Amino acid sequence: MNKPPKIVTREDGTVMVERFSPIRRVEHTLAMVTFVVLVLTGFPQSLRGDVSLWIMNLFGGLDAMRRVHRIAGIVFCAHAGAHLLSIVIGIVTGRMRPTLLPTPQDLRDAWHNLLYYLGFRERGPELPKFDYRQKFEYIGLILGGMVMVFSGLILMFPMQAAQLLPGQLIPAAAVAHSKEAVLALLVLVIWHVYSVTLSPEVFPLDRTIFSGYIDKEELKERHTLEYRRIFGDEGLEEAIEEAVEKAPETSDEAKTSTDSARNGSATQNDPSGAI
Amino acid sequence: MKLSKAAAKASEGCLDCHREPDDPLKFPDGSKLSVAIDAKAYKASAHGAKLGCQDCHRSISDHPHPKVGARNARAYRVAASEMCKRCHYAYYTRSLDGIHFKQLASGNGKAPTCIDCHDAHRMRSPRKVRAEIPKRCASCHEKVSKVYALSVHGKALARASSAKDVPSCTDCHGAHRNLDPKTQGARAKVHELCGKCHSDKKRMKRYGLSANVYSTYLDDFHGRSNALYARGAGKAKKPMASCVSCHGVHDIRRFKEPGQKHALRARVLTVCKKCHEKATPNFADAWLSHYQPTLASAPLVWLVDWAYKLLVPFIISALVLHILLHLYRLRRRKSSVRRSS
Repeated sequence: MNKPPKIVTREDGTVMVERFSPIRRVEHTLAMVTFVVLVLTGFPQSLRGDVSLWIMNLFGGLDAMRRVHRIAGIVFCAHAGAHLLSIVIGIVTGRMRPTLLPTPQDLRDAWHNLLYYLGFRERGPELPKFDYRQKFEYIGLILGGMVMVFSGLILMFPMQAAQLLPGQLIPAAAVAHSKEAVLALLVLVIWHVYSVTLSPEVFPLDRTIFSGYIDKEELKERHTLEYRRIFGDEGLEEAIEEAVEKAPETSDEAKTSTDSARNGSATQNDPSGAI
Repeated sequence: MKLSKAAAKASEGCLDCHREPDDPLKFPDGSKLSVAIDAKAYKASAHGAKLGCQDCHRSISDHPHPKVGARNARAYRVAASEMCKRCHYAYYTRSLDGIHFKQLASGNGKAPTCIDCHDAHRMRSPRKVRAEIPKRCASCHEKVSKVYALSVHGKALARASSAKDVPSCTDCHGAHRNLDPKTQGARAKVHELCGKCHSDKKRMKRYGLSANVYSTYLDDFHGRSNALYARGAGKAKKPMASCVSCHGVHDIRRFKEPGQKHALRARVLTVCKKCHEKATPNFADAWLSHYQPTLASAPLVWLVDWAYKLLVPFIISALVLHILLHLYRLRRRKSSVRRSS
């Protein structure tokens, strides 16, 4: 949204900044539900194990499960269409910023971050509202979703599809549909689950998509550019100094408090300890 | 087991009369049954060297014989078949599940019993006379036997009657527990029957056939569905194409006539239309004719397949690497903070 985001102060004094409008939170929940249903009703059709058969019979057999899969698929198509339409309209009318559109800066950020991870840079890049990782996931969802929508529609209406397109597209769609499903599931299980729950930075769960709000301090640390956009440079100088500070004896009292807090929580959230 | 000298001698006694043609058994309804025995043929039979007459005809030990109770010749033969189970009990019980016994039990006196197919005094091991099997079935199932004789299977059996891997009637239908092939369960399972031979590489090589036909069928929508129905994933609302839907049942011919690609595609379209009335040539092209897609045969499918074979490992390993580097960075930061405090 181009109007300034809502900012609320909680009873304990933490300042929360709105990150996802209510409609986006609903969309996320809808996508979650359709994804789970599509995976549950889709994978048993192509995997030959006994578990597949068991799941199939929970739905009342192959035919019934296929019906559920197709209904969920149509819901997904409608959702995807409505979502893209709302984005296009929002951007054309100027009510939205294309915050999820990849830019050349994202490549530079990714390179910078890689150097930082490997220890060649002192600090990571200052990131916008959505960083390159989140943009990758979103664009991946959009592109993968389009593959699933078009291949799914071809498989659902093969006769009609063959009137417009070469027949070989039908087996090609079958291959694309199942392989893209594997890719989507792997990205979700490995990447999305890590970023929003298992990563020590957010463990046990990043609630932002459900509550819609992000802690101002977290915003400062993880999406610095967005913080600057909203709050200007307020409070940023120390944050930068703090990050640049090369630890040892120079650490002053004012900083140790935040550092030890972070240290404590990091130890607590050590994934190996948690599992 | 071997025929004892005493039993052989007793049987010779029987043959004194029964070798002569012919004083047939006469039944109340006027029907007759020959009791003449071709001794040479009997000796050559599977029982010839093992069993004497009384081993089966136990009620007869003297002359004159006890009176026969059967109303007619057919009833006599049906009752006589009960003798076989004393030794061949397993086959007998299997036949109780078969469609022939069910027909007999429901009053169709023409339904065959043991001795109708195997003969009473000339039985041979069916494994040794495989080419005979369709002829036996033909004595009742005449029409379908003629169709079979013209099929690839029928012709191959006629060419090489000793070949154990060419299916005759009983290989598909079963010999004793032959089930009704018209039920839905049988339709969903028929691919398993064909697949048993047609996925056997050694066997197919002998006839210059591809052993991929079964796996490619199972990878396709029809095969995948039928395999699931066969394993108990509910009942198919509409029948799903199986091997026989396109290739036929008793009239199976070569689908591909050499050098006639055009005619082949036209034939594919005809079989599609059996179920998909509105099928177009384009739609028929969706079927890759049991070939694994290659760059030459189905470039689009091949390309999509390879694109994902490269893309999936590339993306997933990049993501895992990113996660590992992130964890590595966090650990370093933590340890540097720990050192500082």
